[in-house]
Amino acid sequence: MNKRHCLLTGIIIGFTATLNVLAASHEDEDQVDFVDSIQPILKRSCYSCHAADKQEGGLRLDHRDSAMIGGDSGPIVVKQRPADSLMLQLIAGLDDDRGRMPPEGEGTPLTKQQIDLFRQWIQQGANWPETTDVVLPSSHWSFQPIQLPELPTVKNKRWGRTAIDRFVLAGLEERGVAPSPEANRGTLLRRLYLDVLGLLPPPNVAREFLANTREDAYRIAVERVLASNHYGERWGRHWLDLARYADSDGYEKDRPRPHAWRYRDWVINALNADMPFDQFTVEQLAGDLLPDASVEMKVATGFHRNTLHNTEGGTDKEEDRVKKTVDRTNTFGSIWMGLTVGCSQCHSHKYDPISHREYYQLYSFFNDISEQDIAAPTVTEQLEFAETEKEFQQSHQPFVVAVQQYTANVLPMALENWLTTERASRHTWVVPPSVAVSSKHGTTFKKLADASWLAEGPNESSEIYTITVDMPSISGFRLEVLPDDSLPVKGPGRADNGNFVLTMVTAEVRRAGTEDEFQKVLIARTQADFSQQNWQVEKSVNTNVDDGWAVSPQFGKSHQALFQFANGIQFAEGVELRIQLEQKYASGRAHNIGRFRISTSENDGELTLQGTPANVGSALAIQSSERNAKQQQVIMEYFKTHNTEYLAVVKAEREHAAQAPKAPATKAQSVVEISTPRQGYIHLRGNFLTPGSAVETSGFMVLPPVKPREEQVDRLDLAQWTVSEDNPLTARVTINRIWQRYFGVGLVATSDDFGKQGELPSHSDLLDWLAHEFRSQGWSLKHIHRLILTSSVYRQASATRSELTESDPDNRWLARQHRARVEAEIVRDLALDASALLSHRVGGPSVKPPQPSEYASLTYANSAQWSTSSGDDKYRRGLYTFFQRTSPYPMLMAFDSPDSTQCVTQRSHSNTPLQALTLWNDRVFHECAQRLALRVLTEVPSDNSSEKGNEVLRRTRIKYLFLTCLSRYPTDSEYLSVVKYLDSQLSQLTENPKNAETIIGERPFPQVVATPTAAAWVALGRVVLNLDEFITKE
Amino acid sequence: MQQIQTMKVRAAIESQTRREFFTSAASGLGGLALSQLFADEGAGAQSRGALALAPSHFAPTAKRCIFIFLAGAPSHVDLYDPKPILVEKNGESLPQELTDKVRFAFIKKESAILMGSKRKFHRYGECQMELCDLLPHIGSCADDIALVRSMHTDAFNHHPAQLMMTTGVPRFGRPSLGSWLTYGLGSETNELPSYVVLSAGRGSSGGVSNWTSGFLPSTYEGVVFRGEGEPVLNLNNPLGYDQRMQKDSLDLINQLNRERLEKQNDTEIASRINAYELAFRMQQAAPELTDLSSETSATLDLYGVTRSEPKKNSFRGGGANVYQQFSKNCLLARRLVERGVRCVTLMHASWDHHSNLDAEISYNARMLDQPAAALVTDLKQRGLLDETLVICAGEFGRTPLGENRGGNKQNTGRDHHPYAYSLWMAGGGIRGGQVVGKTDDIGWAPVEDAVHVNDFHATILHLFGFDHHRLVHPFKGLDVRLTDQGGKVVEKLIG
Repeated sequence: MNKRHCLLTGIIIGFTATLNVLAASHEDEDQVDFVDSIQPILKRSCYSCHAADKQEGGLRLDHRDSAMIGGDSGPIVVKQRPADSLMLQLIAGLDDDRGRMPPEGEGTPLTKQQIDLFRQWIQQGANWPETTDVVLPSSHWSFQPIQLPELPTVKNKRWGRTAIDRFVLAGLEERGVAPSPEANRGTLLRRLYLDVLGLLPPPNVAREFLANTREDAYRIAVERVLASNHYGERWGRHWLDLARYADSDGYEKDRPRPHAWRYRDWVINALNADMPFDQFTVEQLAGDLLPDASVEMKVATGFHRNTLHNTEGGTDKEEDRVKKTVDRTNTFGSIWMGLTVGCSQCHSHKYDPISHREYYQLYSFFNDISEQDIAAPTVTEQLEFAETEKEFQQSHQPFVVAVQQYTANVLPMALENWLTTERASRHTWVVPPSVAVSSKHGTTFKKLADASWLAEGPNESSEIYTITVDMPSISGFRLEVLPDDSLPVKGPGRADNGNFVLTMVTAEVRRAGTEDEFQKVLIARTQADFSQQNWQVEKSVNTNVDDGWAVSPQFGKSHQALFQFANGIQFAEGVELRIQLEQKYASGRAHNIGRFRISTSENDGELTLQGTPANVGSALAIQSSERNAKQQQVIMEYFKTHNTEYLAVVKAEREHAAQAPKAPATKAQSVVEISTPRQGYIHLRGNFLTPGSAVETSGFMVLPPVKPREEQVDRLDLAQWTVSEDNPLTARVTINRIWQRYFGVGLVATSDDFGKQGELPSHSDLLDWLAHEFRSQGWSLKHIHRLILTSSVYRQASATRSELTESDPDNRWLARQHRARVEAEIVRDLALDASALLSHRVGGPSVKPPQPSEYASLTYANSAQWSTSSGDDKYRRGLYTFFQRTSPYPMLMAFDSPDSTQCVTQRSHSNTPLQALTLWNDRVFHECAQRLALRVLTEVPSDNSSEKGNEVLRRTRIKYLFLTCLSRYPTDSEYLSVVKYLDSQLSQLTENPKNAETIIGERPFPQVVATPTAAAWVALGRVVLNLDEFITKE
Repeated sequence: MQQIQTMKVRAAIESQTRREFFTSAASGLGGLALSQLFADEGAGAQSRGALALAPSHFAPTAKRCIFIFLAGAPSHVDLYDPKPILVEKNGESLPQELTDKVRFAFIKKESAILMGSKRKFHRYGECQMELCDLLPHIGSCADDIALVRSMHTDAFNHHPAQLMMTTGVPRFGRPSLGSWLTYGLGSETNELPSYVVLSAGRGSSGGVSNWTSGFLPSTYEGVVFRGEGEPVLNLNNPLGYDQRMQKDSLDLINQLNRERLEKQNDTEIASRINAYELAFRMQQAAPELTDLSSETSATLDLYGVTRSEPKKNSFRGGGANVYQQFSKNCLLARRLVERGVRCVTLMHASWDHHSNLDAEISYNARMLDQPAAALVTDLKQRGLLDETLVICAGEFGRTPLGENRGGNKQNTGRDHHPYAYSLWMAGGGIRGGQVVGKTDDIGWAPVEDAVHVNDFHATILHLFGFDHHRLVHPFKGLDVRLTDQGGKVVEKLIG
């Protein structure tokens, strides 16, 4: 809190006494009636700044609940305590710092009597009956319900084709301006293709269209482009501008987002399928909350994942989450409401009726989002997978059958056999009651409570432990090496890293209690639960003393090894077994066992590390005729793990199964709602570290309320409200943006601001008519496209009319079409398309076309690695170019691609020398020039072997070049300029054949075309790709 | 209110020049040779449209700006702000009330201790400015330099803080300082871009967002001149096209564009013709610019263009040849402003010394010292310093505390510190030979004349003749300015 606030508090405390005394004198007076006495004063003196249209300081006084919540500074009325009520301090002008309300020049100060009325009213409990709320509706145009306007009458009945034309023509007639004539056929067709697809009309389509004068030729062309899958790419990219789509996180680390494209595909597919815009909206905003949400619905919520994400070291995670939530709130406001709600992040909106509090009420809808990546194979991937999976299952079937057959036909007999012959193979490990342990080089041993031995004392690099036990009979022994806290890294070895190396194990026996010579016993079989690579347990019983058993890197846990004798040993006196554990690791550093335990078995069958499991043992102990089904099952399962033939069949099946096709790994970025909602707060001055009062989740007062499906409103309610009948903004804002894409300027020029600072619509009835049509025709975007594309307004010529440059410089009257350079991605697409290099594949992961190698090195520590795509992926449409936020593809940026850090409703259209250099010299564009020449020379082949001096052929080719690139034929004067250029280049290149060879590049031209001629055509192709007209929609 | 006086400079100029150009274009541009048309200064300026010269609000003292950006943030207490008491208190822990309120990127508060600088500080110039022993050359310019020791910023991670320094807010999407100046004043050159970026070593956290034009058209974006290969991306023609073919091609492009212009009457076509002319001129001018053969050996030596690279390990200083590259960049900056370029940014991005501070900062400071001082000296000798503002700054300071990040055995570096840092400026109307502002005994926070980044920008705009409240561009319902919601001109800095 700053000094000023402290001062203020002091002053207020000072006043309190005085005020309460004053208040006391009014106690006996009559009740003040709100409607009769207070509300009229509010209306007269306060509503101009504190009602529906304007809420200075976040305060609204035309609505009881809002008034009682107060403004940005908190509550203004404390019931029965006029002295503590900010309202009274302000209207009485008691606080010098805050001044008096209403402020000078904004209204007449209240009289003493009026102030007394307020004081009395508050003292009496500030009784404000709810039913008296006036709630003046906002008068701002965009908040009014959408009405279907009547079509205006026009004088010229022949010009118009659609309702759109009636509205525009009426405006023009009012001003005495005639519309422009229809554009040339070539221009019209090219405009249609550029606007709807962002591609050129193929030359054969253009040729046919130029020659076809049938009335319905254009309508047919409209239907053709609307049915093309490239429509989804073109209009999807417009949507991605709004959705701030990118393929990386942004900020310093700027990590790639390998799954981001899945959302882009969703957008493209949804548009191509003409998904109704209400559904399109709901799925993106809250697809995860829809009942039984499908994968595609969840993919749609990837919309929310396009925010920036900061992974720089030391980042405050909560700060980053708040930033994302703010971005989600603001983006929602921009796209669907056309409002700059972000202004209210720090304070109540200066111009629009959105308070600081209301901002955080809206923010709360997005405050419970949690980010989640989901498995999201595309439809194609799923189909392909189903196909290969089916094939695999067929090839896999025999393996499954083999297992089944073996299990059914062979296994029961084998089990019978095993039970009769190997019944005894169940065994247990027993720790011998008497064990003696000694060492050769000084190691001492401590016996622990679990019968294990802990090595202590000297730890020599060469050591032998000797263990002696007595048992009635012995068929093998088990060595357990155990971890212990006293050992390095908890052991089990005494080496620094916890390892040991058991280089040699020997076993000797004699009759117990005698002094007979020990006889060496042959260890026939070893097994360990784990062996270090190259240090298998069998190496501890071979003849090589340099190798042995070790357990790196599995330190800190127990391991077991068993050593089974060739034959079980049994003496009447019992068996004395002496085991020697040699540990002579050649490195010279001690590698001795730290803690161990010895147990023995007397079972003649195959020993296992854990012995026969208890349940198997007890089942086996029962007579076979007495065993129940479960016990039989236990035995069978145990037997299966010991039957090598069965294991082989199973192994074969497993190995084949491992070759099964992998389910598609494609993922998508998506969101879910956290289970316990966060309480929302106002962030004072937009700072999340200084929370103000708590807020409820809710929409804006100036608009119809967001209604909950159940008790509490959530994001899905907001989404459904967005496209509900009584929301006037969504349809208007959306229609306006579509209009803007076609005519350069929206019917509302400020397409991102429908608030009071925004411009008024140039044709408000047209906007409402289209908005109404949009909703009543099931929110079909293609329907709106069709209406616009077939209108006479759209079909006008775009030439600037000098008689209107003064009166209508920005063409708001729509007396002509709009002429504009195409967007960055489309500049690239057109060059690739003209030269027939373009890959027409729709959708899929982002690609990395060639770019200068140093460019990515401008990012932090080269965080953005750019490995150039190969094959067709070099020639994909611009919207598929991997968008690395901190080093975006230079060509795209040169042509004003948005930086994708925030929602952009309108791109700028700069016109710079760097663009000229890009089109001239960028390697992609140069390759296009080469291929364009090749295309023209091969698609218009010579009819005889000699091309030289063939003027007709040259003319045909020049015409074809123009047709391909510009959808029209050259004028006479253009033709002459081009011929002159070709001649001049040809003679220069003939003089410099090396230049000619370099220019044509690696791809061979038809043999009949001389290299200098080919090179001259490449140069000409380069010129045409650089024409203003080429990259312009006219 | 302010709103009414707001001067939407560029918007007004754009529509005006467009109309004028339209008139001239319609009256027989077709017959005029382009060279004739653009040779005329007036016509050239007029037809440059978005880059046409524009008046500032009042008479400027600075016309051009060179911004040496030391991304990663150099330590103020080791370079510019001597703190003997910090040295005395070396090893002590910080009073808790100081650390309670703050956030650190990496420091663990519980065990953090103060770390004094190992550097010696000397007094330089008549003004007796104290600088560390690594900066003797810059010291020799002390009387031309204003050293600000009381900077502070709002962001403590690199990327947001760099955006704060370059665009005025710690978020994406706003135009950078150079873009604002070009937007406000237009371009004085018709053969080079008006805003140029030169880089030595590795890239910065902010990457291109440090010289972005934000929501302004890309006309105002910084153009990267490259250290190797062609000086500007796509400057060179594809192999095989000689000068004459390029000229023929340009002529045909413009010829066909002019015919279209006559039909369509769209001034955008005239701008396109002009852009191609400028691109063609840039093809000649840029190689000339980067060709240093016309510079005397005295000048080359002054900047240290051929000085030897010290031995170094690994990635110190940001990569190979940074000494020579940075020297060359400083010299190129002078050559650029000589040719009328409005803004030059010199990036060097290896000042994030979380560890091994003494060795790293010594290496970097020696890289910086000679060429940066040479730039000031050279500009002065040539009479260019009066109108050229030179700035040398990072995005924040570094903690007086040693960095005890988990796992580090000892404190050898410093963490991010947004509460105080130093930068210096020279020329362009700056009052040299003074230190502005003061930090407390340990360099934690300003105690006198605190200068926020918005104030710093307000002051720069003032030097260029702009009231920072009024250099605005409408975007999303707001009149956006470089100084965002703040900014106060630092009068002390102005000569």
